[in-house]
Formats: sequence, structure tokens, C-alpha cells
Amino acid sequence: MFRKTRAAAIAAAAATALVLSACGGDSDTGSTGDGGEAGGDPIPVGIIADLTGATGDVGGPYNAGMLAYVEHLNANGGINGRELKAISNDYAYEVPRAEELYNQYVNDGVVAIQGWGTGDTEALSGSVANDELPFMSASYAEPLTDPEDAPYNFVVAPTYSDQIRVALNWINEDSGGSAEVAVLHHDSPFGNAPVADGQAWVEEKGYDLGYKAYPMPGGQPNYVGLLSQAQAQGAKYVIIQNVAPPAAQVAKDIQAQGLDMTIVCLNWCANELFISLAGEDVAEGHVLIQPITPMITEQPGHESIREYMEEKGMDESDVSVSWVAGWATMDVMAQGIAKALESGDELTGASIREALESMGPIDVGGLIGGGDVEFSAESHRGSASTGIYRAEGGQMVEIQGGVTP
Amino acid sequence: MRTVAATATGIHHRSYTSELRLRATRSEYFRLALLAVVLLVVPFALGNYWLSIVNTIFIAVIGAVGLNILVGYTGQISLGQGGFLAVGAYSSAILSDRIGVPVPLSILFAVALTAVVGTFFGLPGLRLKGLYLAIATLASQQIIEFIIRRDYGGVLTQGKGYINVDRLEFLGFKIGARAVFEQQWYWILMPLAVLVVLAARNIFRTGLGRSFMAVRDQDIAAEAIGVNLTRAKLTAFAVSSGFVGLAGALTAHYSEVVTWEKFTLEVSILYLAMIIVGGLGSVAGAVYGAVFMTLLPVLIRNVANAVEGSVPFLADQLPAIQNAAFGAIIIAFLIFEPRGLDRIWQRMKDYIRFWPFRY
Repeated sequence: MFRKTRAAAIAAAAATALVLSACGGDSDTGSTGDGGEAGGDPIPVGIIADLTGATGDVGGPYNAGMLAYVEHLNANGGINGRELKAISNDYAYEVPRAEELYNQYVNDGVVAIQGWGTGDTEALSGSVANDELPFMSASYAEPLTDPEDAPYNFVVAPTYSDQIRVALNWINEDSGGSAEVAVLHHDSPFGNAPVADGQAWVEEKGYDLGYKAYPMPGGQPNYVGLLSQAQAQGAKYVIIQNVAPPAAQVAKDIQAQGLDMTIVCLNWCANELFISLAGEDVAEGHVLIQPITPMITEQPGHESIREYMEEKGMDESDVSVSWVAGWATMDVMAQGIAKALESGDELTGASIREALESMGPIDVGGLIGGGDVEFSAESHRGSASTGIYRAEGGQMVEIQGGVTP
Repeated sequence: MRTVAATATGIHHRSYTSELRLRATRSEYFRLALLAVVLLVVPFALGNYWLSIVNTIFIAVIGAVGLNILVGYTGQISLGQGGFLAVGAYSSAILSDRIGVPVPLSILFAVALTAVVGTFFGLPGLRLKGLYLAIATLASQQIIEFIIRRDYGGVLTQGKGYINVDRLEFLGFKIGARAVFEQQWYWILMPLAVLVVLAARNIFRTGLGRSFMAVRDQDIAAEAIGVNLTRAKLTAFAVSSGFVGLAGALTAHYSEVVTWEKFTLEVSILYLAMIIVGGLGSVAGAVYGAVFMTLLPVLIRNVANAVEGSVPFLADQLPAIQNAAFGAIIIAFLIFEPRGLDRIWQRMKDYIRFWPFRY
């Protein structure tokens, strides 16, 4: 019996050693943008990307835009001779995976994080504050702009609330001062984010607009039921705060039911995807509120993108609004990092935050809201201006640029 | 479901106390000592990243042990795990951060509240069995998820959609910065996980625990020999939910943020997978399952990244592959060893003990 015990003990010890040695190994980094050794260590930045999850159709281009920016930056000398090293991993829009990636990035010693969705941004806002890591993402929810609540979150584009304010101003003008508005929104914090602020805006401005919100249930074959409610309300305008596929479905339903309604899409359905999913004819005439300037509208910031596209032999259709958003967001972060390096302090998350807050207007070549992005210690609302577009002939045609609420 | 493993020769019980002992042989004590040494060495041997995974495992252990009490021992299937975790997380976070209750008390309250909520949602269990109960608990998951997700009136999150939880602080002690964060949490979570495992092991040495198992094995027979079915089932829901509430509250304070997305149906299914893979109706099985299911995606990712140069497909499709592996492993266990890792471990021990004989 004794020998058997010993054998068991040895087996257990061996197993333990195996587990420990496996755990001791360095955690590997994901796919990286170029990170060479030109004049100083590369600067690591973690990217939490959705490539294959629920929002992968816009998250993929967003991530590609970020990596493209980093590649372009490094090819042109990096930041003060130091390269930016982007570590990007797919989290498939699942918050626990984002948290795990975040832990990995912290372990890798990143100085800043580029996130993606509302879920991961909210789930990590506490951690990034404690770990002092600046965090930007494609979630433009209003609470994230308040440094008291989220000291390390930076919102580069106008918030969903600002976008709905712009949308309501436009509707007020377009309708001649009186109309019914139905707000169809995703049934989540992301979807709810601007709903109450929109209502408050109508009251504050004293607009003669009827305002009613309808959560959009998921997994519906169509939205005819919701639209009949909106029709009963007498809605002439439908603001949609959702991603492109359901918004495109609403556009199709409006067409099929022969309703006289104009869709005003906010941000995540205001893109080329909405037009292509709905089809050129169906999308025609609907209005898109999009803070990121698409390639079709010329801005100085597009020049370096075109340079990059030429180098890579890319086509204009490869570069969607989401791609540009990724590029521009990484641009803002890189400029913050450059400023922090300039100040001579050690490059940490805290010094990048300090730089972003104190550096004044950040020139992104008009890619975001047609103007500059600016943060301060009191507000992390980077921009309040957005473009208004109309779907015409399958393109996003600008009606107004640089509009603020 | 748990078969009596062959014990070593020469072990005779002469009293009930002796038979009730958790450990009877020297090798069992030896393994316990070895485990204790490993648990004491781990925080010094591992870096912060791996410690964070170990800490996640401890929380998963607490939740899985809790779920196994209900599903594995009492035979009441539950798809409401995510919802019950949410009750623990939200209540402790709100109590400690907004009302100012000291964290240990807020966690205790969260445990009690989750037990109450669990009991309430366990009421259908008095009339329903099997698949029907699964659907009823699915309803509890959906109801709780609905409440935390919509948060009408902003009672829960004050309109923000999420709650930032302050860094854990009690009796003048505050968890430090990132460099020591994981290690300090280890010393909180490890003892708690050990306590939970011990508590669960001991529940099943009492009459109450035995009544749970009687309900699972044959409820009519159990009633005939005097087990109060109502009491046993509801107590099982309460005890199980209490453990789950603890796991939820710890999640809130450890991850420092509470959002509804952490408590979805997927989480419920992940926990069910843990106890299926680990071994239904076994406390040790719940532990093995929690360790295994937490490590699996991490290891897959490390492998995928390591071979990215030669097999880029693995890294590109990582989340899909992780999901596929998740499903494949559950199916493999159901086919090859429905009694899970716990049973495999027993068989390994028996094999070594009887070698060179088969039995």
C-alpha cells in the first residue's frame, strides 16, 4: 500500500509541476501591428476588438482602421522615433472575454486601451480608473464624458445624446416646426442612452414635436408591428438608435407598408452598411447623423488615408465610415501619447491622460465632426459636432457639416 | 450518482463518527497537505495575469459548488444561475457604495437576499420536475435579466446602466494598486473558496444534506420515509442561491463594476457546463469543473497565439474556436464520462492503487 501511495504522490506532484510550469509561461500577445526597434522601445497599446461577434460587421473595419493608422504612423517615423505597438485581440462582443483581455494587456504593460462596445467600456471603466489607463472606445454614451464618474474614459465623438439633439433640431427645421417623432431604439443601455435626453431637449427648446420611444425587440422577422404603433402616433420621422441591420429592416418595412416616414439614423446605423443592406432604392432619402466624416466628403484628414490606401492598393469601398472612425480614434490617442512624451515625464497612463486634458484642440483633419477634438479636466466630451447626411443614389451625401446641438 | 470509491485495504470503521470522517487514509491526508502547500505557494509563484485567472477560478468555484448543491445533489435543474449571481452583485454593490454599509456586511446581506430570491423562484420546483422546472428557472433568469437590463427609474444604476464599485475597503484596510491587487484578492478569495468547499462537504454529512439526495434519487420514496419534500426543495434552493449570491457579490467587488452583461443566460449555461464536466453531485467535481472551464478558453488562446505564425486561422477565428471547443468538450464528457472529471480522478487513483491488477 505504501508504494501505491508514493506513486500517487509522485503523480500528483508531477501534475502540479506541469500545471505550474504551464502557468508560469509568458502570456502571448495577440496579432500585433508593426513593433520594431527604431529609437526606443515600442509603445504598447491594447485593442479590444469585435471581429466575429454581434457587431463584427462594423467592429472589424474599426479595428482594421486602427491597425492601419498604427502601420502608417510607424512607417512615417512613429512617435518621436518610437513605434506604436498595437496589440489587438478579438473579444467577440462578450464582456467576460473583454475583461480577460484587459487583464492580459495590463500584464503586457500597455499604456492605453482602445475598446469597442458599450458593454466592455462600462465594464472596464472602473478598472481603467484604478489602473490609470486612458480608454477610448466607439461607445459614445453621455455618462462616460464626466471625468468624475469615469476619469480615464475619453469620448472622441459627440455623444448619442448630442446626436439625438442634432437630429431633433434638424427634424424641427425640416418639418416646419411641428411633427410627430417616433424613437426606435435598441433595447439596452446603448439604445436607451439618448432617449431621455432627447425628450428633455424637446421640452427645453419648446419644440412642437410629439416624442415617443419604442424599444426594438430582438429576433424579429420585421418591425411592422412597431411601425403600426408609430403610424397610430402619426409619426412622420423615425429616429433609430440601433445598428444597421435592424435599421435597414425598418427602412424595408416602411417601403413595403407604403408609409410616409423619414428615418433619421444615429451613428451606428448611419453608415454605408445601412444603405447596402436596405438597398439603394429603399434607403433613398433617409437621413443619417454620422460624426465621422466618410471618404466621399473631402476633409484634410482623408489625405493620409488615401496615401495609405494607395500604398496598399485599397479601394474606396474598403474604407467605410467605421474604418475611418478607428483610424481617427487611434490618431487622437497617438497625439495624446506624443504630447505626453514631449512633456518629458515618464510615459504612463496618467501622463497620457494629463496630456489629453491639457493639450487643447487635437487636429484630426476634420475626420470627427468636421473639426477638432478637445478634452479638458472638467469634461471628456471630445467633440459635439457631427455631420448630417442623406442617402442619395447609394451614397452618403452631406447635407450639413459640423453641426452642433 | 456518487459511487463509493474503493478505499484502501485495512480501513475498518468501528463507529459512525469514524465512517463520517472526510478523510480515512494517509494518502488522503498527504494530498490535502500537498494541496495546502500549492495554495500557499501559488500567489508567490504566479504573475499578476495568471493570478487574475486563479482569482476568477475561486469565484467560479464558489458559484459552481452552489449550483451543484441544487442540480447535482438535489436534482433540481436550474438555468437561473446568471440571475442569482446578479442579485448578489447588485445588492452588495448598491449597499456598500451607495448606502455605505461595510463590505463584509453588504456581502452577508447579498447572500441572504439571494437566498430569499432563490427560494421564491424555487417555488415552482414544488410542482415541476425536469424540463418543466428548467423552463421555470429560465423564466427567473429572464425576469432578473429584464429588471437589471432595463432598470426602470434608474433605481439600480441611477440611469448610468452600470455601477462602478469602489475598491474594497474594510476596517481601515484597502486593496492596493495593480501591482498587489491580485495577490491581496487571492488572500481574500482563496480562504472563502476553501470555506465554501468545506461547508458544502459538511452539508452532505447532515440529515438535511441526505434529504436533498433522497429527493434527487426518488422523491416519492423520500416522502414515504418522512422527508419533507417542500422543506428539502426550498432549503436546497435557499442554500444553493446563498452560495451563488456570495459568488455574485465577490464578482462585484473584485471586478469593481457591475453590468447586466455579466449575468446573462450564457453565464447560467457556463456554470451548468462546469458542474457537468466536473461531475454532478460532487463538491470536488464542481471545483474541478470550475478550474477546467475557466482555464480552457485561456489555454486555447495561448495555444492559438503561440502557433499564429504557422496556423493563422486559429487566432483569426479564436472566439468561434473557443465556443466550438466548449461544445465539443461537453459532448465528449456526456458520452465518455458523464460523471465528469471527479470520476476520472477516482479511476486514476484506483488504477494506481490496484496496479498491477485491474481491480
